[in-house]
Amino acid sequence: MKLFHRTIRDLHQMLRDREISSVELTQSVLDQIQAVGDRTKAYLLVTKELALRQAHAADERLRSKRDVRPMTGIPIALKDVLCVKEVASTAGSKILKGFTPPYSATVVERLEAEGAVFLGKTNCDEFAMGSSNENSGYWPVHNPWGLDRVPGGSSGGSAAAVASGEAIAALGSDTGGSIRQPAALTGIVGLKPTYGRVSRYGLIAFASSLDQIGPMTRDVVDSALLLQAIAGHDPRDSTSSPKPVPDYLATLGDGVKGMRLGVPEEYFVAGMEPAVEQSIRDAIRLLEQQGASIEEVSLPHSDVALPAYYIIAPAEASSNLARYDGVRYGYQAEGARNLIEEYMLTRQQGFGAEVKRRIMLGTYALSSGYYDAYYLQAQKVRTLIIDDFKRAFTKVDALLGATSPTVAFPLGAKTQDPVAMYLNDIITIPANLGNVCAISVPCGLADGLPVGLQVIAPGFREDLALRIAFAFEAATEFHKAQSPLMGAAA
Amino acid sequence: LPEPTSELSSREVEHVARLARLGITPDEVLKYRDQLRNILHHIEALNRADTSKVPATAHPLEERNVMREDRREPCLPADAALRNAPSREDSYFKVKAIQE
Repeated sequence: MKLFHRTIRDLHQMLRDREISSVELTQSVLDQIQAVGDRTKAYLLVTKELALRQAHAADERLRSKRDVRPMTGIPIALKDVLCVKEVASTAGSKILKGFTPPYSATVVERLEAEGAVFLGKTNCDEFAMGSSNENSGYWPVHNPWGLDRVPGGSSGGSAAAVASGEAIAALGSDTGGSIRQPAALTGIVGLKPTYGRVSRYGLIAFASSLDQIGPMTRDVVDSALLLQAIAGHDPRDSTSSPKPVPDYLATLGDGVKGMRLGVPEEYFVAGMEPAVEQSIRDAIRLLEQQGASIEEVSLPHSDVALPAYYIIAPAEASSNLARYDGVRYGYQAEGARNLIEEYMLTRQQGFGAEVKRRIMLGTYALSSGYYDAYYLQAQKVRTLIIDDFKRAFTKVDALLGATSPTVAFPLGAKTQDPVAMYLNDIITIPANLGNVCAISVPCGLADGLPVGLQVIAPGFREDLALRIAFAFEAATEFHKAQSPLMGAAA
Repeated sequence: LPEPTSELSSREVEHVARLARLGITPDEVLKYRDQLRNILHHIEALNRADTSKVPATAHPLEERNVMREDRREPCLPADAALRNAPSREDSYFKVKAIQE
C-alpha cells in the first residue's frame, strides 16, 4: 500500500507519530498525479510548488507538536469554483481564464489554518452546471473505474482525483447533486451539508439559495473530519448559520439500532437501472439487520422537484452570471465597437453551450409575463418539497434511497439531449430544494461500476447522516474497493 | 396567470438572448429554440402541483436581516481589486463608450 491509498485518519496518525512526513506524503500523491493525471484529466491546475511549500510548513508544525490538527499535512484537492488567493481559479469556464482571485474562500482559509496541503484546482462542469463534467470549458474528466465513462458532475474532477489516488480528499460544491452524484459514480463518499452549514464566501456562485460546499472522501470518518474543519458560522457570509457545530466524530459510532429509517418509494424512479435498485434494496436490508426499523414513507411532490429546480437554479444563475461582462476580470472579446457589443461578444465567446442555455432559460423564466407561471410557481413548489421532508421527518429519523438512478454512463452518451442529462439529478435535487443534508456512501458495484446509497437527514443533522452512513460502511467492505487506476499502483 | 407555452418562438429566443447580453448566431437561435422548447415542455409538469394555498419560498433560511455594526473594516486595496481588469486607467476600470 502506498501513502496515497490511505485515508485522512490513518495518515494523520502516521504524521503525528512522525512515521512519515507531509513532504513524503505530498510527493506520493504528486507522483500519482504524474502517473495517471493525463488519463483522468481530473485537474485543471496542479499547484506543485505551493503544495510542497505547505507540506514543509506542516512538517515544521508536526515536529514542534504545536497546534497539530486533523488536516495538518494532508494533501487536498479543491474544486475550481473555490477561490484561492493568487492561484488561477476559473470555475471550469473560459470566461475566467487567467483570473487570479485577490482573496481566498473561507473554507480555503480554514483548511490553510489547519495546515492542509493544496494539490491544485480540480476540473468541473462550467460554473458547476452539469452532471457529467462534459460541460467543462477545458476538457472532460474520465472516470478512474472506466476511462470511457463520465465521473459524474459537476464536481467530477474532485471525485476522480479522490478515486484515483490523485488526492487524499477533496472539496466539491453541490447545487443539485454535484457532490453526491459524482461521489456515487466514482465509489467515494460525498456529503452535501445543509444550506448555511458551510460558508459560501469565495465560492464562485451558481445558484445562491442552493449552493453548498462539502467534503469528498474515501470513507465516512474522513467525511466527518473534513466537514468538521470547514463547517461553522462566517461573518462574511450572512447566510451561514450561527448554529453551533457538533463534534461529528463523537456520535459517529453510535449505530442505527432503534432508529427509524424511511424509504420513499418515489425515489425508485422510472428508468432506474435494475442493478442499481438491487444494490439499494440490499443496502436497506443491511441497515435493517443492524437494528434500524425500515418504514415506507411518501414524498408526494418528488416528481415536481426536478422541474422546479430547472427554473429556480437557472433563474438565480442568470442573475449571478451577469457579472461576467469583460470589464472587471476574466476574458474580454476584441473588436467590439461599443460597450453593449463588448458584453455580447465577451459572453458569446466566453461561455459554453450549457451555461448559455441556462442563462436563457433563467432569463426567460424571470421575464415579464412568465414570472408568475414559472418562477413564482417553482418557489411555491419548493415550499411543498420542504413540507414533504418536514412531514416525513416527523415519522422517521432519516431517509434512504439511491444517489443516482444509473451507474457512470459512457462519455458522449447524453451530451446531445439536455433533458436526459438533467434527469441524472432527479433523486439528489430534492435535498437542495428542501434544505436538508445528504450523504452518498458506496454500496456496491453494478457491472463493475460503483453505486451510491444516499442517506438524507433533517437540516443541520449532518451528525445523523454521517452516523447512519458510518454504520453502513462499518458493516460492509464496499468503500475499500479501489478503482483500477488506484489499485494498479498498490 | 398567462398559460406558459412550450412553443417558444425564434423571436423570443433572440429577445431573451438580448436581455441576457448574450451574442447568438442565427443557427444557435434555432438550436436553442428547439432545446428550450423541449426543456420547457418538461418543466410544465410544475402545473401538476396544486399551489393555490401555498406561500412561495424565496430563501431557505430562518435567519433574516443579518446586520453588523456600522464600522469601517479592512477591504481590498484598489490595486488588488483592479489587478484582473482587462483594461484600466489609474484606479478605474476602463470601458468602451456606451454608444458609438
